[in-house]
Amino acid sequence: MSPHSTPLPKAAAETQLIARAQKGDEEAFAALFEAHKRRVYSLCLRMTGNTAEAEDLTQEAFLQLFRKIATFRGESAFSTWLHRLAVNVVLMHLRKKGLQQISLDETDTSQEEPVKRDYGDDDRRLVGSIDRVSLTRVIADLPPGYRAVFVLHDIEGYEHNEIAEIMHCSVGNSKSQLHKARLKLRDWLKEDRRKEFPGATIPVDKPNGKGLR
Amino acid sequence: MRNRRSGARMGEDGRGSGTVMSLLLVPAGLLLAAGFGVHSKTIETTGTPRITLTNLAGQVVVRGWDKPQVHVEYTVHSPRVEVDTELMPPSGAADKVRFTTHVLDPLVSASEQGADYTLDIPAGSSVEIRNPQGSVQIEKVQAYAAVESVGGRIVVNDFSGHLIARTVGGDIEILRPSGRVEAYSITGNLHFVSAATSKLRASSTSGRILYEGDFAEGGDYILSAYSGDMDIVCPRSSSFELRAKTVRGKLDNSLFLTPKRKASSPAYSGNSLLGTHNTGRASVELTSFSGTIRVRPQ
Amino acid sequence: MAEGDFRQNPGCAQFDRELMDYLEGEARPFVSTHARECAFCSVLLADLEQVRFSVRQLPLQEPSPVVWANLHARLEQEGVFRPSVRGWGWWESLRALARPAPLGALSSLALLGVMFIATPSALQLPETAASASSAPQAAVVASASFPEDRELARMTQDLEDTFRANEGLLAPDTRATYEKGLTSLDDSIRECKDSLRQKPDNTLAQDYLLTAYTRKAEILTSALEFQGR
Repeated sequence: MSPHSTPLPKAAAETQLIARAQKGDEEAFAALFEAHKRRVYSLCLRMTGNTAEAEDLTQEAFLQLFRKIATFRGESAFSTWLHRLAVNVVLMHLRKKGLQQISLDETDTSQEEPVKRDYGDDDRRLVGSIDRVSLTRVIADLPPGYRAVFVLHDIEGYEHNEIAEIMHCSVGNSKSQLHKARLKLRDWLKEDRRKEFPGATIPVDKPNGKGLR
Repeated sequence: MRNRRSGARMGEDGRGSGTVMSLLLVPAGLLLAAGFGVHSKTIETTGTPRITLTNLAGQVVVRGWDKPQVHVEYTVHSPRVEVDTELMPPSGAADKVRFTTHVLDPLVSASEQGADYTLDIPAGSSVEIRNPQGSVQIEKVQAYAAVESVGGRIVVNDFSGHLIARTVGGDIEILRPSGRVEAYSITGNLHFVSAATSKLRASSTSGRILYEGDFAEGGDYILSAYSGDMDIVCPRSSSFELRAKTVRGKLDNSLFLTPKRKASSPAYSGNSLLGTHNTGRASVELTSFSGTIRVRPQ
Repeated sequence: MAEGDFRQNPGCAQFDRELMDYLEGEARPFVSTHARECAFCSVLLADLEQVRFSVRQLPLQEPSPVVWANLHARLEQEGVFRPSVRGWGWWESLRALARPAPLGALSSLALLGVMFIATPSALQLPETAASASSAPQAAVVASASFPEDRELARMTQDLEDTFRANEGLLAPDTRATYEKGLTSLDDSIRECKDSLRQKPDNTLAQDYLLTAYTRKAEILTSALEFQGR
């Protein structure tokens, strides 16, 4: 059974797919996997920064999903439920690896030193210069704790109170870690920019809401 | 949808109050239950029929045979109880057979609310039995079988296939099974003898778990107790890899084990044991929260 | 302007202090005011907003086909797949109880126990998970017990309330069996929680706690169905 042979479900048909999957229907499993695999995998990849780990965790998340699918009551969107499950899988994996940075239970030190500003900042903004490869790489380079909060908030759209509950930290910690993560990303992206175009002056612009390449 | 049948497809010796009354006049030796007759039916089936039996109280016995038929004999405990038989499709060899005990009068006492059944089913059947207040006995059946009782006992002998047995308080005894076996209870005791299974899953919250006999080569055995004790009694020639763990209980092993590695986890505290007995051809995992786990030779 | 000429002034310091809250959507008028006056802080603010904007444009990635292959093999091995024709059995009729009516909706939650108990992960010892893929498995169950056990506690309480309201319908010995079973499970839930209070990362206790809840939901569902006869 290959999921690729199963057509993608339409939104209205997902309820039926779930009902079928709850009865152990293999085709329904395949279709649900096909519909949600990219989002789950992307989450795992962004949170771990590692392809092999992300694939293992994607597999684990869906395994847990299909084992527990009978508990899905339809009170929330299925994708939300799956997503939350995937986040738990990733976080537990990171904790099991003993990565201390994943713990956010620390005093907020975000205001201890001033944010770095460099010469030429006034005419060397990041606007228009962030490419996906660089951005993906610097996100992967973040310390795991920063990365987890950043991915959950800025990419996956979780609120701080949700992140606090998921990661067993305070809302304040979640906010400060996110802020630090953004500052780090910004610094690294600027470094990349300087290496790529040393001495160049980039026209000042404002975010215009248009998609970057 | 009900489909009361009589006629060419099934052999039926009749039912109803008239039959009951006539049976009462028959010499006592022919009566199989106090005051009420035995009803029997033979139903032609497909090769792998799906059979469901829903009873309330009484004894259910299921036996395997090699005919493409389901044969049922039942005796109701009260004239205010009846058994419905549903067949799908309604004509030709049945693919699905459903027996349901119905209580017609809510004032019937609990002990009279059931029926005793004996079923003969073909190999390869799928059978589901629910007998909340009564016992279930399965003999020499090759099938997918799901059996549930609340307080009744479930006894399974010489089963092969996939068996799932569940009770709340009734004991479960499974002797010489093969294939896949799952047995779950809350307060009932579980007893296994010589399970030549590829996969055995057993769990009881406060009941005792007793496993006697050898383990099948390549078999995967996972037994879990919460507060009840667990006893594993196997031949010295058994060959298995053992992983045992308890949070607050004791571990008592009398078999020689070659240690694999210290079974510890930074996230876990308790007693644990990890080792191989002989060549480790089966995998045995035992967990308990506060009960004692004992492993000893026969 | 020469390198290193930037010196933080009090305005920039206040900007730094309030920037985090401003980006969280809180009212911090000083931040936008100062950004209009200070080129350096203006750039910083614009950069951070650009980062936030850009990450939302990142495309989704595709996992390799190996993920499905492995997943499918595991599910098949665990017997999760069932032939669709089996929908006639009473196990499936329990699953079909996922209806809006309170009893049906609550009953369907008991299927957590059916699925959970039927899988090896419920009984898996943490250190038996040797591979990266199975390592999170027991741990996921463990972690899931924290956010989920509150939910399970609520679900089982709802089921139990309905059971209590109708327990008079049961025959005395059946009722006694259920009571004994529920007491046993409640004891195990209490004990597991005690154990977890002392050692929150005890994965075996977490597994047992989750199992106890699901078993409780399962037998309550069974009892409710029986009461409805």
